[in-house]
Amino acid sequence: MTDLFFVKWILALSPILTVLVLMIFRNWSGSRAGAAGWFVALITATFAFGAHPVLIAHSQAKGALLSLNVLYIIWAALLLYNVVNETGAIKAIGIGIQRFSGDKSIQILIFGWIFASFLQGVAGYGVPIAVVAPLLVGLGFSPVVAVAVPAIGHSWSVTFGSMGASFQALMAVSGLGAPYLAPWSATLLGITTFLCGICAVHVYGGWKMVKHSALAILVIGMAMAGTQYILAVSGMWTLGGFGASLVGLCSGLVVAKLKIYNQVPPSQTQSEMGLGWALSAYFILVVIVSSGVMVPPVEAFLGQINLTLVFPEIISMKGWVTQAGKGKAINIFGHGGALLLYATIIGFLVYRSRGFYQSHALKTIVQKTIKSGVPTSLGIVSMVCFAMIMDHCQMITVLAEGISRVFGSIYPLVSPWIGLLGAFMTGSNTNSNVVFGVLQQETAQLAGLSAGLILAAQTTGGALGSMIAPAKILVGCSTVGLSGKEGPVLKATLQYGLIITGVVGVITMLFSFIR
Amino acid sequence: MDSLLKKHGNALKNTALILMLALPFMLYAAALHGSILQVKLLMAIFIVNMLFVMKNG
Repeated sequence: MTDLFFVKWILALSPILTVLVLMIFRNWSGSRAGAAGWFVALITATFAFGAHPVLIAHSQAKGALLSLNVLYIIWAALLLYNVVNETGAIKAIGIGIQRFSGDKSIQILIFGWIFASFLQGVAGYGVPIAVVAPLLVGLGFSPVVAVAVPAIGHSWSVTFGSMGASFQALMAVSGLGAPYLAPWSATLLGITTFLCGICAVHVYGGWKMVKHSALAILVIGMAMAGTQYILAVSGMWTLGGFGASLVGLCSGLVVAKLKIYNQVPPSQTQSEMGLGWALSAYFILVVIVSSGVMVPPVEAFLGQINLTLVFPEIISMKGWVTQAGKGKAINIFGHGGALLLYATIIGFLVYRSRGFYQSHALKTIVQKTIKSGVPTSLGIVSMVCFAMIMDHCQMITVLAEGISRVFGSIYPLVSPWIGLLGAFMTGSNTNSNVVFGVLQQETAQLAGLSAGLILAAQTTGGALGSMIAPAKILVGCSTVGLSGKEGPVLKATLQYGLIITGVVGVITMLFSFIR
Repeated sequence: MDSLLKKHGNALKNTALILMLALPFMLYAAALHGSILQVKLLMAIFIVNMLFVMKNG
């Protein structure tokens, strides 16, 4: 690298570095750090990369379109979660599961690996750790283990969880479709399914307990990884995490009945709501999403109204050309977020007709959704907007070129680490994909590697970053009385996160040889 | 100022989010019509909004 290129590279890195430093060393929230990163991107792009007002205007409009695509899913998923949670159904599901086995390793797997992944499938944004950690404390696990287990256990399901919001973001920024990205992503995430299960058990009982639960991890892992792969490659990636964990839940309950896992009697606690009613909103969701994605007439009917903008060719003052073209279209009635909304409305009406809601429940649901949705959205929009400024001013290409020059053919080893870093700093697989997706794609193309494989490694690293993201650890710790004592939890999850990411890097490297 | 932010913090954050999503489309329309003055004016509002998010987001 020449000196001049190195300076340019550092300047291009400065917005990302700003977000990293502010979040890690100054404990800023994602939204505040994202806004700071936006300012650094704006200043650097204007003074060093030839940005002008019209270029900034178009880049921000593209950013807003991308953000709306992601926010549609996030808000609908949060609303669905609150509609279900307000009935007490999440608690009922937990109690229902607990009645199946008294074996500690099975409890860890069912709660920390499968149920946490199920919650990631339907909600995400820290909900799995926040809900499962107190349940595990209630079962007699130490608070540190209770937070670390779901943090590690749910990571594999993050990309296709939350109705595929992270995967949607990856597709949006890369401009590549699900048929190209889903197979590699589902393969790498499928491998991490087993690793997350092993590590979740290892946190509590070491290798002895891993050996004891090996059969359960193998059977349930195959069920979840296989289901996720099938759903992702068949176009139902919005249900990838949810469907996989639901199948995992069924197989887990069968495995729990095996003799080796039935030495200790299970809990006899009853809940007011049956497991069937508790899961009814999710059954409705499965039917609606399946119809919306797999029945062509329904898909065509819902997909009639698409909103987008046409952007002209933009040339920066340094001569960097962004081609003319359409922005990311929003399919108003057929979008994953719209399907979620239909399920939410029907689910709400079903629960209300059965009398599961207290008075003023609707107001509480809306308030809770807005309370958790706004900060997340502010972070996502600011990060998407600064990523778009960088994209329009050659900054991402400069970054990619630098990394490609240094790492060259061993880049696949590094790519999941970049995804991990993004999720660590932003607390979100979605944000990591937004910030680093284009960088990874361009680096892959420069190094002559498969963009699909490298982007899969990016999102897998981003998913694994969820287990070490301070933002999520803080949420979990606050629910088990560990506020201000997050260090031991982060120490526990960090070692597992780094090991699994290293394994994913090696596997990505091997895949890059055989593709 | 601080007490105002404390009292209306949530409403201001909601407004900031709406502005973050609406202003880019206004910027797009202004840029497409070649009105640089409008673009600069809207950018100034966008910057103020981002400053608010950076301080209180």
